[in-house]
Formats: sequence, C-alpha cells, structure tokens
Amino acid sequence: MIVVNNLTKVYKLSKKQMLEQKTKKNMKKAVDHLTLAAKPGEIYGLLGPNGAGKTTALRCIATLLKPTDGNISVCSLDTVKGSEKVREKISFLTNEIKLDPQFSPKYMFNFFGRLHGLDEKTINERRSKLFDHFGIKDFADKKIEELSTGMKQKASIAVSLVHDPEVVIFDEPTNGLDIVTARSVTDYLKLLKEEGKTVIISTHIMSEAEKLCDRIGIIINGLLVMEGSLTEILSKTNTNDLEDAFFQLYKYHNREEA
Amino acid sequence: MRGVKHIIIKELTRVFKDKKMIFSLFILPPIMIVGMYSLMGNVMGNFMSDIEEHVPSVYIQNAPEDFGEAITAAQYNANIEYLDADKNTDSLKDGILNGTVDLLVVFDQGFTGTIDAYQGEGDSIPEVKTFYNSAEDYSLAARESFVNGVLNTYQQSILAKRLGNMEQLQVFYIDKQPETSNIVNEEKQEGRVFSMLLPFLINIMLFAGAMGLCVDAVTGEKERGTLSSMLLSPIKRGEIVFGKLISLAILSSISAAIYAVSIVVALPNLMGGVSEGGGISLKFSPLEMLQLFVIMMFVVYLYVSMVSLVAVFAKTSKEANTYVMPLYILVMLGSLFTFAGSGESKLVNFFIPIYNSAVSMQNLVLGELTLTQFGITVGVTALLAAIVTSLITKAFNSEKVMFNA
Repeated sequence: MIVVNNLTKVYKLSKKQMLEQKTKKNMKKAVDHLTLAAKPGEIYGLLGPNGAGKTTALRCIATLLKPTDGNISVCSLDTVKGSEKVREKISFLTNEIKLDPQFSPKYMFNFFGRLHGLDEKTINERRSKLFDHFGIKDFADKKIEELSTGMKQKASIAVSLVHDPEVVIFDEPTNGLDIVTARSVTDYLKLLKEEGKTVIISTHIMSEAEKLCDRIGIIINGLLVMEGSLTEILSKTNTNDLEDAFFQLYKYHNREEA
Repeated sequence: MRGVKHIIIKELTRVFKDKKMIFSLFILPPIMIVGMYSLMGNVMGNFMSDIEEHVPSVYIQNAPEDFGEAITAAQYNANIEYLDADKNTDSLKDGILNGTVDLLVVFDQGFTGTIDAYQGEGDSIPEVKTFYNSAEDYSLAARESFVNGVLNTYQQSILAKRLGNMEQLQVFYIDKQPETSNIVNEEKQEGRVFSMLLPFLINIMLFAGAMGLCVDAVTGEKERGTLSSMLLSPIKRGEIVFGKLISLAILSSISAAIYAVSIVVALPNLMGGVSEGGGISLKFSPLEMLQLFVIMMFVVYLYVSMVSLVAVFAKTSKEANTYVMPLYILVMLGSLFTFAGSGESKLVNFFIPIYNSAVSMQNLVLGELTLTQFGITVGVTALLAAIVTSLITKAFNSEKVMFNA
C-alpha cells in the first residue's frame, strides 16, 4: 500500500538552471500537494508529459528524495523516518539508475540479493524464476555492457525484483523497448498485480495506461489534475479515449498557468 | 555490516575480473618504471663511459723541455700537439668554442727560466694558462684531468727540486688514515638518503594509486547511474561508503606496493649508470615493519577518503580530476618537507596531517621514531579519516549531491 499525502517537492535552482529554464525564480515546485493512494492488487498509473513531476513523485516514494512538505507511507512505514525498512519492501526501476556494465546480470542479481540479506538458496530460486520469465538465461553470464537496450532493461527489472518486494515502482518501464520486450514487461506487471503486489508506474504512453492501469492519476505541472479508473476519467471529461481526455486537461491547465 | 562485506567483494571483483584494469593498474606501471629507470641508467652510463673513453685533443704552447716526461709519468692519454711560442692560437680558441678542440694550454715565455730564477718574495711567478669550454663535456673533462693529473704532479716535482725536502711544506697531517676516522652506523648513513626519499615516494605512490581508482569508483559510478542502484538497497549509506573506501584502500595499497617493489628493482639499474654497486639496503626490525605497515594503512585510507570526498561532489570525472589536483599538490608539499631536514622531532609536527606521516616514516627509516610520535601520527590520521568518512556519508545522504535535486 502506498499513501501519498499532500506531497510537495521544491527544487532549488542554480543560476545555470535558472538560465536554462528561462526563469528568475530560484525555486521550482516539481510536485505540488500531490495526494494519492495505490492499493495492493492494483496497478496505479501516473500519466503526464515530460517534466510534469512523475519521476520526482516516484523518487520520493522510493526514498531517494525527501518531501519538502507532506508525507508518504509505504506499507505503513514513513519514507523519511523508516527509509531503510521501506527500501526492503520496494522495487524501484528508472532509466537513470543502471546496473554496473562490467558485471553480468547473474552477478548483479546475486549481489543485490545478498545486499537484501537473502540466503543463497532463495537467491538461486528467485533467479531461476525471473531469468526464465524474462528469457535472461541465454545472456546471464554476458557483461551488461555487451547487452542490447532490451536485454539490459529485462536484467534491470529482474534484479530489482530479486527480493520479491511488496511494492513495485516502475518509472516508464517500457521506454525505448521494442514491442516484444515491452509486452513481456507489461505481462509481468499484470502477474505481480495478480500476486497481490502494489504496483505504481509512470508513463506517457496512453495505450499502455489504458490497457494496464486499474487507476490513473493525470499529473500536469506537478499537480494531480484528475484521478480515477479509465471509465471514470472518460466520463468526467466527456471524451472517448484517454488521449483526448489528457489533451483536454492539458490545454485547460496550461491555459490556467498562462 | 553485511553490506560492507558484499560491497568490498564486488569492488575487488570489478577490478580483478577486468583484464584491462589489471593491466593498467598492476602490470603496466612496473613495466614502465623498470623500463624507464633502466633506460635512464643506460643513457647516463653511456654518457659517462663515452666521456671516459674519449681521447681529448690537446694543444700545448711553449711547453718546457721536461714537460713531455711529466705527461708520460702521469699517464695522461690525449692527442697532444706542441706549438711554438709564436704560433697564433685564435683558430684553436675558435675550435674550443665549436667543440672540435678540447684544451689549449699556454706556458709563459721562459717558464723554466723564471722558475729557476726565483729567489724569494716579490720575484715573478710564471703562469700556465688553460683555455677550455665549460659547456662541452669533453673539454671540461680534459681540462680537469690535465690540471689534476699532469699540472699538479709537475708542480710537485718542481717544488721538490726547489726545496729538496717536501716536508718543509707539511706542518701537520690531517687524517693519515681517513678510513678509520669516520665512526658511523652505516645502516643509518644509508638510511639518511633513503629517509629523505622514502616518505615522499610512499606518499606520492599511495595518493597516485588512490586518485585514479577513487574518481572512477565514485564520480564514475555516479555518472553511470550505478551508484543509485546501491543507494536503493536496504543498507545504511555509511555501509556503502565504508565498503567502497575499504576496497579502494586495498586496491591503492596493492598498487602502491607494486610501485614500491618495481622502484626497488629498478633503482640499481638507474644508480648503476652513475655509480658502481648503487644498491640501497634498508633494514627494519619487526616492530618497525609493523609500524610502517600501520602508518601506511591509515595514510592510504585517509588519501582514499580525501579523494572520494572530492569525487563525490564532482558532477563528472573530468571535474573530479581537476578538483583532486590541489590535493595532490598538498600531499606532495607535505612530503617534500622531509627533504629539508631529517629527524625533525618536535612533537607538535606530529599533529599536522599528511606531514606527520612523512616525518614518521622518515624517523622510522632513521630508527628514531618514538612510540608517542607513532601514536600521535596514527591517531591524528585516523581522526581526520573518520571525519572525512562521515562527510562522505553525509554527501551520500544528500539528494542535492547524489541526484542533483
């Protein structure tokens, strides 16, 4: 269970960043009073354009960033006070976090298993199961630097799940993947959901959100502008598909900003 | 502390499973050092023997009749040409300037007559004038051996004839048997040379080893995004930092040890070029060896943590390398002070980090390190290392430093 309560994250901008973003303000509110809850046995999708605050929100949930205001609990543990305990229960996957390219997927899997305090028997069982599912066995002993993007992503997903976490946080998990690999990832997310895990993903691919997510939160400029199931969102916006619904909200909120 | 152990194993595996890393860290440096020192030794040796083997061309103007005997007696080997008093020597002087002629010696007119006519104070004394070129090695060597080997002996023989008894000139002797005069501990004497060199070499080698490794292991991992994956594991950030620093200290020590062994192996090759039997021997008691080991371990950990602290704040490896340079200079300066004097034993010196380790190592080589000095050095180094480690842990906990947030 993930409960995000009034999360606000403000970044201080350096002079260089202020110039780049053409702003005179030295603060940027990446996430603005975000409140949401993701339950076990469901996939929650954070949908938004680039720079909307999806990754920041997920990083806060994953304990890598501390909220400027508000609080987050994961499995009833506070992400600031109990960050280590939270990290035992979560899996976090994002593009910027990578596996050491000099090692093989197998070595990395075993290494992170040990860091999570798992015994060798459990590590071997988990490895066999996950490597089988993602078809990693063929390249399990190859150096990660020699693998293709898809292979690397599969290895990263498998390694992030080594400790059979209760909560799975994936930031744009199918980004840059071919259709076959992307399918194997979304299939596994469904499997995790069936196993009763809490899954939260961020995406800007509408079709993925439509097919995969039980509930969707649309985030624009750090604000959660709408939340609900696909049917609820379509009904509230009076549209026929998620893309139309999203654009309607996007135009409305950007006009407000302007 | 399970994290520390696994991180150490992983970091060591990263290096030892990578053939390129092994080659560049542990194989290439000794090959380079031995090769470079041998080459330098050979070049210097060849240079020396070339001068020794060279037969100088020497012109002597107005030589006394008996001077030929003096040259033969002194066994002075040169192509000698005797010139008459009226011969113009300008072209020979040009030759000296151009390096084609090595030496021109001009005796005063009536040289022997003037000497024979000498009665007492105020009478004229003749001159032997030498022309040589100090920028030419052959010319310089030819002049030196001519003056020392031939002219001095010739002068002695004339003096002996004039005085009849040379002992009139000898009021007293200084050290008739010089070899029995010097009461020295030979180990300590050899140690004096080494005591200046060793702390500098050890400090520089330890730091140089740490420099390359730490920047890659900290800034490099940050850049590649592989450090974040470790930050997501359920272990304390302090464990990650400690694990990384210990493994880096182990690798830096191995690298420094290899450097040290290769220098010891290569040094005779270098010294062989300038002096015979240039081997330097160092003898340590078991306690001194232990002390040296302990000092080195704490110093290497300190250097690794200092470089890592800089590396953790840098955004790119290039930036990190730039920031590390002032530290390198600081370490060099701290160690260079040992060249200025040996056995600087004021207790306050042992409270200055980096410098204290250099002075301790120097005193250790000289056999003068007291337990108090050793204790203060290790204590101060450990304290500073602990402070730096805690600063790195703070940086690892900072989202601004780790994620630029």
